Amino acid sequence: MGTVVTIDVYTATDGAAGTDLSRQLTTAQAILQRADAVFSTWQPHSPISRLRRGEITSAQAPAEVCEVLEQCAIARELSGGWFDPWAMPGGLDPAGYVKGWAAQKALGAFRASGICGAIVNAAGDIASLGGLGPGQPFRIGIADPFSPRRLAEVIYLTDSIATSGTYERGHHLIDPHTGRPSARAASASVTGPDLGLADALATAVAVAGAPGLDLVEALDGYEALIIALDGSRRWTRHFPFAPP
Amino acid sequence: MRRAPIVITATVAGLVGVLAFHTSPARLGAGILPGGSGTSAPAGSSGSLQGQGTGSPGSPPPSSPTAHARPKGTAHAQSGGTRTATGPAVNYNYGALSVSVTVSGSKITHVGIASIDDGGLPRSQLIDQQAIPLLEQEAMQAQSANIQGVSGASYTSTGFQQSLQAALQTLGFK
Repeated sequence: MGTVVTIDVYTATDGAAGTDLSRQLTTAQAILQRADAVFSTWQPHSPISRLRRGEITSAQAPAEVCEVLEQCAIARELSGGWFDPWAMPGGLDPAGYVKGWAAQKALGAFRASGICGAIVNAAGDIASLGGLGPGQPFRIGIADPFSPRRLAEVIYLTDSIATSGTYERGHHLIDPHTGRPSARAASASVTGPDLGLADALATAVAVAGAPGLDLVEALDGYEALIIALDGSRRWTRHFPFAPP
Repeated sequence: MRRAPIVITATVAGLVGVLAFHTSPARLGAGILPGGSGTSAPAGSSGSLQGQGTGSPGSPPPSSPTAHARPKGTAHAQSGGTRTATGPAVNYNYGALSVSVTVSGSKITHVGIASIDDGGLPRSQLIDQQAIPLLEQEAMQAQSANIQGVSGASYTSTGFQQSLQAALQTLGFK
């Protein structure tokens, strides 16, 4: 994966920050390390690299590989083919799903009891539970694709948000229909219950543009915002805008 | 009056598998990061520039093996068991950068850019500003104290990770 993940845990009292929380952090770390070890395309001997080279089949790979590939197939279906890790120029590359998936899994290390909330932020793709306190949802900024030090919007975060943009120059912003780099939006943000799927959908919507919004509108629990190349915005009906 | 929640911040660099966290009475997001701009040089940094000046957007994608030798870092001991190491300048898509990391005991307390050389091209500078997700977040969170994170701008630099990894290795951090 090769990314930097920050984890913020919000507790109401000092007492909660005890060994229990420390253990949960350690578990989250282990989950991220494991995901990195299995899915790092940087490491030639990682299972995903071996799978890409055809040295092993997905059945011979660790169980997570099958799980991720199954979820990628679902995401491909739900995105109308705009997200397709099998159509990448360098061969199978589930990176557009794995980062969000791993962060979501790491979040699972934390129990809602005893803490107000937790945020796992995988370089801008964010999974969360709870909030600052009862009735106080987290507020998350969306980076302005045209002015990286500014926020384009602020949202109330319920579960997760992922943002993809052409400015990332990421290898996952490939139009699966042509195999070439392409994007019809400056950035696309998707919120929803699962960060893995939100991550995949954000990639899909960034590549697809406006038609991607309709796909997300049809999905229960997921919302999307597009910042178009001309700076204009379009969003699904219940996108969780917050006052700036 | 609402009590400010306690925040525990952990940083996990996927490539190096490091976890560190600290408690703080103040609410902060990526509070492990240095303040100021995305190119600030934190105390104790010793990065030297050795990268080529011009960016090469067509250089290898992140999934390709890189041509760089495994870098070595430099370390500084500071008071109170706090140690800072700076990784070597490593080429990334748009120039060269080096990363500094400060640890206190077994905790990372600080990650920053010690040096960055993008050749001064406007396009490169634009990318730089977007290139370092952590600094990016810090900058934006400083702008609006009332948010707990920033989504987007997640360009992940191979160079950032290589330099960070080397700096951590220098400190014997596993």
